[in-house]
Amino acid sequence: MFKMMLLALTVSGADPWWSTRPLEKVQPPKNAPHPVDAFLMARLAREGIVPTAEVDRATLYRRLCFDLTGLPPAPQDSQRFISDSSPDAIAKAIDTLLRNPAHGERMARLWLDVAHYGDTHGYDKDKQRPNAWPYRDWLIRAFNANMPYKEFTTLQIAGDMVPQSGPGGIEALGFLAAGPWDFIGHAEVPESKIDGKIARHLDRDDMVATVTNTFMGTTVQCAQCHDHKFDPVTQADYYRLQAVFAAIDRADRPYYRDPAMHERVKQADAIVARLVSARGELAAVEKKLLGPEGEKLTAELARLQQPAPGKDPRFGWHSQIRPSANTTEWVQVDLGESRPINSVVLHGCHDDFAGIGAGFGFPSRYRITCSDDPEMVKSTVIIDHTSTDVPNPGLKPLAYPAPAMAQGRYVRLTVTRLATRQNDFIAAVAEMRVLDAAGKNYAAGKTARASSSIEAGPRWAVANITDGAWYGGDPATRDVQDAVAAKLASLRATKIPAELRNRISVLENELAAAERDRKALPAPSVVYAGTVHSGSGAFMGTGPSGKPRPIHLLKRGNIQQPQEEVQPAGIAAFNHAPDLFNLKPGHAEGERRLALARWIAHDDNPLYWRVMANRVWRWHFGRGLVETPNDLGRMGDMPEHRELLDYLAGWLRDQGGSLHALHKLLLTSTAYRRAATNNPEAFKKDPDNRLWWHGNRRKLDAEALRDAMLATSGTLDTTMFGPPFQDFVITHPEHSPHYEYDKFDPASMKARRRSVYRFIVRSQQQPFMTVLDCADPSLLVDRRNETNSPLQALALLNNDFVLVMARDFATRVDKEGGSTEARIQRALLLALGRPGSPDETRELSAYATRHGMPAACRVIFNTNAFAFVD
Amino acid sequence: MTFTRRDMLERSGQGFGAMALAALLADDARADKALLPHHAPKATRVVQLFMAGGASQVDLFDYKPELIKRDGQPSDFGEKVEAFQNGLGPWLRPQWEFKPYGQCGKMLGEPVAPLGAVADDIAFIHNMAGKTGVHSQATYLQATGFQNPGFPGMGAWISYGLGSINRNLPAFVVLPDHRGFASNGPKNWDSAFLPGQHQGTILKPGAPRPIEDLFPGNHGSYLTGTADPDGRDTLARLNRMHSSGRSGDDRLEARIASYELAARMQLAAPEALDLSRETKEVLRLYGLDHGKSSFDRDINPLEETDAMGRKCLVARRLLERGVRFVQIWSGNDNGFPRRNWDSHEDIRRDHGPLARGMANAIAGLLIDLKRTGLLDETIVMWTTEFGRMPSSQGGKGRDHNPHGFTTWLAGGGIKGGITHGPSDAFGFRSADKGRPTLVYDVHATILHLLGIDHTRLTVRAGGADRRLTDVHGHVIEDILA
Repeated sequence: MFKMMLLALTVSGADPWWSTRPLEKVQPPKNAPHPVDAFLMARLAREGIVPTAEVDRATLYRRLCFDLTGLPPAPQDSQRFISDSSPDAIAKAIDTLLRNPAHGERMARLWLDVAHYGDTHGYDKDKQRPNAWPYRDWLIRAFNANMPYKEFTTLQIAGDMVPQSGPGGIEALGFLAAGPWDFIGHAEVPESKIDGKIARHLDRDDMVATVTNTFMGTTVQCAQCHDHKFDPVTQADYYRLQAVFAAIDRADRPYYRDPAMHERVKQADAIVARLVSARGELAAVEKKLLGPEGEKLTAELARLQQPAPGKDPRFGWHSQIRPSANTTEWVQVDLGESRPINSVVLHGCHDDFAGIGAGFGFPSRYRITCSDDPEMVKSTVIIDHTSTDVPNPGLKPLAYPAPAMAQGRYVRLTVTRLATRQNDFIAAVAEMRVLDAAGKNYAAGKTARASSSIEAGPRWAVANITDGAWYGGDPATRDVQDAVAAKLASLRATKIPAELRNRISVLENELAAAERDRKALPAPSVVYAGTVHSGSGAFMGTGPSGKPRPIHLLKRGNIQQPQEEVQPAGIAAFNHAPDLFNLKPGHAEGERRLALARWIAHDDNPLYWRVMANRVWRWHFGRGLVETPNDLGRMGDMPEHRELLDYLAGWLRDQGGSLHALHKLLLTSTAYRRAATNNPEAFKKDPDNRLWWHGNRRKLDAEALRDAMLATSGTLDTTMFGPPFQDFVITHPEHSPHYEYDKFDPASMKARRRSVYRFIVRSQQQPFMTVLDCADPSLLVDRRNETNSPLQALALLNNDFVLVMARDFATRVDKEGGSTEARIQRALLLALGRPGSPDETRELSAYATRHGMPAACRVIFNTNAFAFVD
Repeated sequence: MTFTRRDMLERSGQGFGAMALAALLADDARADKALLPHHAPKATRVVQLFMAGGASQVDLFDYKPELIKRDGQPSDFGEKVEAFQNGLGPWLRPQWEFKPYGQCGKMLGEPVAPLGAVADDIAFIHNMAGKTGVHSQATYLQATGFQNPGFPGMGAWISYGLGSINRNLPAFVVLPDHRGFASNGPKNWDSAFLPGQHQGTILKPGAPRPIEDLFPGNHGSYLTGTADPDGRDTLARLNRMHSSGRSGDDRLEARIASYELAARMQLAAPEALDLSRETKEVLRLYGLDHGKSSFDRDINPLEETDAMGRKCLVARRLLERGVRFVQIWSGNDNGFPRRNWDSHEDIRRDHGPLARGMANAIAGLLIDLKRTGLLDETIVMWTTEFGRMPSSQGGKGRDHNPHGFTTWLAGGGIKGGITHGPSDAFGFRSADKGRPTLVYDVHATILHLLGIDHTRLTVRAGGADRRLTDVHGHVIEDILA
């Protein structure tokens, strides 16, 4: 982008396809011991440019600290480094900083820009995404553990397909889901509608762009409407990449953090699956024995229970909305007189609120009792499901046979655990039917009462529980339904031998026990990730089968002009591993992602290694060898040092993708230690420092600046991991949450963790961070804009966060005591990583004497010396 | 990080008070921007009025007698139509009477009758079409030219292209609905990949800090007496000591300058927002002479007039002081009770008071701009994310209609008193079905009037040379004066 105008382009720079060429095996020139310096010095010598000297130790240490941990140096550490005269002092310091857990936090924050991570969905309503953060934690752990770059890549695309990766393989998939998601376009508009199709197309587009820009530095998204104008990417390539993600959506994905529990659950699931399949085999035998008549009755019953078109508005009984699930609610039918009871049938509700649909409000735990006493002092238990959760039956009626001789005038459903609605809890049941042996419903039209009820007629009323109306099944045929069910039951009694019935019953008991055991295991953790989604309402996903949606090439990118269907593949022009996508027919969808991951993270994929080497270079040198890290194509920047980039890319690969090793290689170079000072001669030849003749002065980014203020004020909360902190107050959560930053008090200790743990809202971005050029979580940000606007000056002078930080900073230095001058000296050392000059100290001491220490600390936080790292 | 000088200047934006910009720009490699304007401009400023939620064309501006005739009959669009909430009930007549206004005889619905006084200044476009009936994407499309997040708002592009007239105020100012943001919130006026200073700056007239952090927050009670100005002097001296040994890095100077500009903004912004300096006559123009300080709980025309009137009057004061682009929003997110134009349930209930308040205020603005001579160089644009169906939803409401809606323009370089691009007999979509007017055309026209060729204002981002009009857009010659 920022073409070097004064230096002639090198031969390598003139090749527009340079980035797709295989990595060149390059040997550094022999003019310097360090390979980075060897390449740079050779070029500088050729151009006749004399580089700047090395910086002093204090400045170097501040540089290293911000680059590797995103935090300012502690004065005592800095002092130790300065006085360490051993030849490997720098290498030791780098090792220590790489071992500091803050390193992973810094790297994760840089990576989150690239992944465009956020804690809300964005788009309309911008609802919260409460389970995004496990992906952020995975990043921190991965960077701290120095996970090999190929593994790091593979897990983020197909971690679920790499069994040995354990829970991390699931958390890493947060990468695919990190970007914005159109809630309305998915949750309110089905895939059958054009707008629904567009929303899903754009969703895949985001996944494709994220993966290829991040790992390949290739802007394939430009080929959505036509072949890429500049890079060797065809429109078909683009849609083939979409096909890789055709089965997945963004949604919460359960997993177990504890690998042992992960295994236990897998085993428990396997037992249940085995019993379900055995039960299926017996069912087939049963079906054969029941013969054509049984088949006819079964089909007839299924037909009668089909949901009727449209929705009966009389949904059922709905308890009051409760803040906790563990609240007891009940609803009770008065049959008018004491009756012998054969069975009780419960029907679930259907309501689209919060996209819940079928089974809306169906309680998780309950029991049904009958008695002649309306208060149920002595009662007969018909079913007791109060110790484990019952899976939501949706619209499927649940019939509970009563024990022999069960009799009573009152039948009560007591709910002991409510259903989750949306951060709150309710019980709702459409109908409770009380049947005699012939299938007659005693409860029909009888009066009912309840512990609580919302009476929102005609939809919700306690009387609806006996009104004979529920969603699904034509009410007019209810009697026929019950009669058919009774016939089927008696047919079963005659046709199925007692021995088989016994086996079925034993198996069903085993299955119930296995399901109970499975449910007794702790609830899983959840990460918002790329996943096969099994949903309801408009947002159905492709689950449980995970069969990929057919992907067609779209003429001009128009969803209404589909052309031929395409199959998953990589970009054809990059043919380093053409066989990876030879997938068997009927392959699992994850095979596609795994193939793509292997195709990308391949030793012979030159772009992959160049892109990452360039990113790491950029993180440390302030500008990339290629200044457009997400675009190493023709529209991107041309590298001035292609040989160096190739050397570093190959080196990273040959080091097993060790990022720690690459950090250390770069940071031990002399080039990294060059002072950010001017040299008029050199400036004339290379004003943009394309050849790295001086160190680049770096402006602290929003997170580093905020973290530096917290650290300097002595109030940084170093707690790692877990849900993000919120520096806002949410109002109107029920519709479109309003994220009100004004209402949060920054003096509170609740928001003093590092910025990487901040809850990131997409629509209403944190104004203070935004004005400091924080990355926009809706964009794939490979490098941030850097501005100096008056609004930024106002924020740093007047924002309450800064004012509180200055006050706390003053309290810290005041506590350490001494004269005003001594305290100012201490403050400057803490803030700038070096002692203040006599002039600086004099200026600030005079000001502090007149206006107090907090006001002086506010000035320090606003200085260029604080905002920039030399 | 280092940049080219041009780049650095760009990124430091308004931070370059007295520097000799022109001399520094002369050797700029990025000719696309250095050559601005591309031709002689007709206008220098823009007011964009955005009705959030989807304002009904057929009840306000686009008179359809056929709907009156067929009111209550089953609707038939002659093609398969997908509506957002399947609201394809019978045809529903305009909910108000229409009467002709001005010499042009433009038919206007009763709630927007106040605009009759300026009908001869307005060019209506009735065959606007969007791409989607989803609020979020449709709002993005009209605000940024793209239907997904990540693109700069029109005001950001214009700020980027033309810069500021008055460096003491932001070039692009946004006045959101006082009840909250519309769909997508601040993303609609985002700078996206453009440098941050081109983002719309939210202005809250009447608030103690009308611009975020304009003055010290509540925790600044320790800043007594002259602590604030003295602090800035101290800061300037410290920064000069710092930069004296660090030549060759213009960012250090730029940051020093940004603090000087901040101080000037502290004076300029409150002055620009001070409506007490306006005369009674002017206040009356905007419907602000009612003398009330509280309003009914239910939505009502007086309160709507007051809210919109204040924003419009502030807009005039900002334009006068050299703000390039003012964006005014009517309507917050699409929740309940309706305080937006998304009238699925009842057009009369919501559109009535909203439209009357809007029309009172905007008529005042146009008259005032004319009175002060500013209208000649100010483009006033009225729009919404989509229109509403000519069929009914639930009897009294209307569903979304991305196929047809109305946008109108007035002021600098616009031919008034005309109607361009008719809709069909029902106001469902463009009469010439294959050739609706698109947002790209409106954007291209506005840029054209500002002296910008919309195909030549580009920025490299995400692998492409991005522009406001994507790869589309034709200047609408018909509506040019």
